[in-house]
Amino acid sequence: MNLYEYEAKQIFAEFGIPIPPSVRITKAEELSKVLFGYPLVLKCQVLSGGRGKAGGVKFPKDLKEGQKIAAELLKLTINGSPTRSLLVEPMLPIKQELYLSITLDRAQGTAIFIASKEGGIEIESSHNVVTMPVPYPYHPFTGRELAKQLGLSGPILVKVADIANKLYKLFEAKDLDLAEINPLIITEGGEVIAGDGKIIVNDDSLARQKTFTGWQESHLDELTDRERRAKLSGLNLVELKGKIGILCNGAGLTMATMDMVKAFGGEPANFLDVGGGSDQDKTLAALDIVNENPDIEVILLNILGGITACDEVASALVKFIKKNPQRQLVVRLRGNNQDLAEKILADSGLKLIKDLEPAVQEAVDRSNSARGKGAPVAAK
Amino acid sequence: MILVDKDTKVIVQGATGKMGGAHAKRMLDYGTKLVAGVTPGKAGERVHGIPVFDTVQEAVDKTQADCSVIFVPPYLALDAGCEAAEAGIKTIVVITEGIPPQDTVKLVHYLKEKDALLIGPNCPGVISPGACLVGILPGSIFKPGRIGMVSRSGTLTYEIALALSDAGLGQSTCVGIGGDPIKGLDYQTILTLFEKDPGTEAIVLIGEIGGSAEEEAAAFIKEKCKKPVVAYIAGQTAPPGKRMGHAGAIVTGGKGTAQSKIEALNAARVKIASTPSQVAKFVAEVAKLPAKT
Repeated sequence: MNLYEYEAKQIFAEFGIPIPPSVRITKAEELSKVLFGYPLVLKCQVLSGGRGKAGGVKFPKDLKEGQKIAAELLKLTINGSPTRSLLVEPMLPIKQELYLSITLDRAQGTAIFIASKEGGIEIESSHNVVTMPVPYPYHPFTGRELAKQLGLSGPILVKVADIANKLYKLFEAKDLDLAEINPLIITEGGEVIAGDGKIIVNDDSLARQKTFTGWQESHLDELTDRERRAKLSGLNLVELKGKIGILCNGAGLTMATMDMVKAFGGEPANFLDVGGGSDQDKTLAALDIVNENPDIEVILLNILGGITACDEVASALVKFIKKNPQRQLVVRLRGNNQDLAEKILADSGLKLIKDLEPAVQEAVDRSNSARGKGAPVAAK
Repeated sequence: MILVDKDTKVIVQGATGKMGGAHAKRMLDYGTKLVAGVTPGKAGERVHGIPVFDTVQEAVDKTQADCSVIFVPPYLALDAGCEAAEAGIKTIVVITEGIPPQDTVKLVHYLKEKDALLIGPNCPGVISPGACLVGILPGSIFKPGRIGMVSRSGTLTYEIALALSDAGLGQSTCVGIGGDPIKGLDYQTILTLFEKDPGTEAIVLIGEIGGSAEEEAAAFIKEKCKKPVVAYIAGQTAPPGKRMGHAGAIVTGGKGTAQSKIEALNAARVKIASTPSQVAKFVAEVAKLPAKT
């Protein structure tokens, strides 16, 4: 779950990382109550990246200009994420900008510090990146070592080291995938302050992080409506632009099925992994949500039952067909309780295909012929 | 075969749960030497005839178990894994999906110190067909033979095993290393074991988008593997920036694409199949084993 900048900064502050004074506004008029003096900084609060490039950060020179710009910014949608509020901060006297983040390094299997003497730019374009695997258990000398490697010295080294240590503490305490300060500002007066903040909370940890209880629904801007509803009901849906709805069990098999659909000349409309051990209700919910997509011509259901029992899937299919008799369905079912599934589906008229590749071919053929006729098969 | 065989003595942590219980039965039916279950507070009960203990230590003392398969809920898995390692278990298979990655970091670290192997998490387990099944793989799909398999996926592994078995190409051992970004054993460790295993003739590597594990495996194969390797990479049609089910299956910043993995494996002279049945075809060619048509 991505957090907004203002939320990330509140968490920084809780852990003792210095942040600039700020006010969050949702209406341009509220700017008149902000007494930081001008020029000041107005920043769109969005969940997507690329805010600066998209014009989501402005520096008005007086209140009049500020209110005009604020009204414009509040209408801005950046990479799919609408601006619902603005963060207002005073301009800081910047001497230097650094980059500091912690994330998980897959290859090394540890948390890792990523830092640079060049802040305020995308880290990918920096040439002075310092990386440091985080030892487990953690010791604060790690922060000092990192600051040293950034070429810092004196009180600034001590302050940056302290911030790095606090950033690790919150990264661990809040179960984050990413904690990023970019830029980490060194002011003319020798203060070190988090100029911006990005936090990604690990989705699997949300249930044990009470801070974030109930946050997820308001932090899913990057998803389509159907993807959002799928996620909230425990299904993994990613929508694409194609015509063949796909429903499988297991992420690898779902991806492989999509790849084969494409290789056989079809276009996958989605990725949907119902997960292992899904029962009737979950399978039916998954079928329903794929079926809602108006672009699809045929649904390809591919279940290889390991934990998943084929008879549960078959029962869901019977209910689905009853509701949607016109829907083109290609079903590949194999594995655990396959014989029971065949019995359940015997009266439905639905042909079960035992092997994957012929099933994919059948779905692609049906999709192509649906288009050949110029009329997509209606859902009802 | 590698990792598990007919003498492996297995315990189930979380044996009295729905998943643990159901799969304990299937492992027993398969012929796995399942010697005990562990659920705190349930000592004295029996699950499908096997005794349940309160602690792993007690189970190990009474049964000399050397392998544990873990079915406990995600937030309890770190503790369960450490308990198994502390009790002297050397092969620890974590089936549980949804473990916070920072718990896995700690688990990996703890098990390394105890010299125990971690398989998973978020994996289907390990099977040496005909000898031992540890995990949730559907035993009937696998056939004894001389092909080693290693995979980040569950059901895709079954699909490819099915294609191999249908083609008369049995398997020595199949290992699911799991779909999480942070995990225990990597491809290289498993490849090393297969390289040394006289019962393995050729290796199938099943990969997917996200991370650089396949690229690292490719570099390893180029340097160290004498046995032929056939690979399948899932996720060529996955859009960037989207997590495809597995926590680890995501292309970020142009990294972790199927294309990059395929190129790296090609450079290591690994044959890349584009369908499960093609995996079987290529394996039959490289292993020079007779395949049924």
